[in-house]
Amino acid sequence: MKPEASHALERLMQALLAEVAPALQPAYRQASVAIQAMMVGAIREELDRAAARRVDENRALRRLFAEAAPVVEDAALRERVGAAAASADASLLVPELEAGNRALRSLLIELHAHVETLAGDAARRVEAAIWRELAASTERRKLALGPC
Amino acid sequence: MSDLARRLAAYLAPRLGGARDVEVSGLDRIHGGASRETSRFVLRYEQDGRRVERRLILRRDPPGSLIETDRRVEYAAYRAFHGTAVPVPEALWLEEDPAPLDFPFFVMEELTGFESSVQALLAPPYLEHRAKIGRRKWTILGEIAKADPEKLGLVGLLAPVAADECWRRELAHWERVLDEDELEPQPVIRAVIRWLRRNPPPPAQKVGVVHADYRTGNFLFDRQGEVRAVLDWEMAHLGDPLEDLAWGLGAVWQWSRDGLAGSLLPKAEAIRIWEAASGLRAEPRALLWWELFSCVKGQGIWVSGGREFQAGSNHDSVLCLSSWMMGNSQDRAALMLLGHLT
Repeated sequence: MKPEASHALERLMQALLAEVAPALQPAYRQASVAIQAMMVGAIREELDRAAARRVDENRALRRLFAEAAPVVEDAALRERVGAAAASADASLLVPELEAGNRALRSLLIELHAHVETLAGDAARRVEAAIWRELAASTERRKLALGPC
Repeated sequence: MSDLARRLAAYLAPRLGGARDVEVSGLDRIHGGASRETSRFVLRYEQDGRRVERRLILRRDPPGSLIETDRRVEYAAYRAFHGTAVPVPEALWLEEDPAPLDFPFFVMEELTGFESSVQALLAPPYLEHRAKIGRRKWTILGEIAKADPEKLGLVGLLAPVAADECWRRELAHWERVLDEDELEPQPVIRAVIRWLRRNPPPPAQKVGVVHADYRTGNFLFDRQGEVRAVLDWEMAHLGDPLEDLAWGLGAVWQWSRDGLAGSLLPKAEAIRIWEAASGLRAEPRALLWWELFSCVKGQGIWVSGGREFQAGSNHDSVLCLSSWMMGNSQDRAALMLLGHLT
């Protein structure tokens, strides 16, 4: 058995905070290293979930698009929303998942803006689903050090 | 003396009224001035037969920063409020020519022995004085709101704006920052921007001086719970005073995670104190608009810092960490205000 990457990063963060930073002068360098230690902590948090949170979110967005497509009145947008709903992640590499996620979230912005202009219960249901997804997206990205 | 210290001494010498043996020492960068490189130093010289020693601050423009700002505005704001009910350090010299120190800069008095960090605030001996600090903080903010920009000599330096245009100008500015600097789509903040345009606030009760970044971390406090100086005026402008009130109430400054605005006071108490000091009213609907606007502005700041770091124009790690951590917290703050997250 070998140490896990997340364990190594945790150890690195502790060493930077408890051993390296206090030994540095001037105070500016000390504070900079403390910030870098916090970055290592954030990277450790992100490492374990990086692929999973993107896969989960891309799946949630495609599901949302599938539900929303029939409500969309703009034909070109409806076609793109439908196509996105039917798409799939080509690989589990994080940069590729991220590229897919950005494309889906860009389309989500367009869909949200469009649905806001529509009347009727179906549009309101889609709008509510979008807000739920946006709230969920911030849970997936939450970092322990964040203020809220 | 380092090269920078020598050049700073050479710049200051002719501005000290016949001073001799001008010397700069202890030039030491302070962390946290993400919009300008901030360093403290000691200036020593001989004048009228006596030795003078002054502790000063150098604020120098960096190549890239968290906020793109006008140093002239910041300098003018310090000068305008010095000696008023709003405590600030005295600003002494402004140099916009990059020749003397490679970048434009200004020099101001250093106030020593005080704290500004959230970490200090949330630990003894300051922790027990949080409520007092909070009362002073929002009283001073009320004084800023009450101040007359014309009497302060700031009209002409700060761009004028009509009472019913304050919100539109600020929103357009920060939307443009997001358009130019975002590295990834921002569906929460884009939805907030649309909400803000659909639900405009009433005209400002007055067009006043807006500090624009008066929150925990940007003022000095002492061990007795007194606020000793308001810092970081680089985003100051004329506008709706509610913008300042809303900014400091944001959930992203609640590091204590106990629901206290700015980790200092209950929100309702902070608002009451501000209303009493400013003579203005924080009408709930208007305040909600400015609180949501604060989320757009905050995200603009985190996003542009992230871009600077990514582009390599500023390697300060705080820019990267802020774009990760504060960016998501800012989205969460907006969702909470709109009732989509508890």
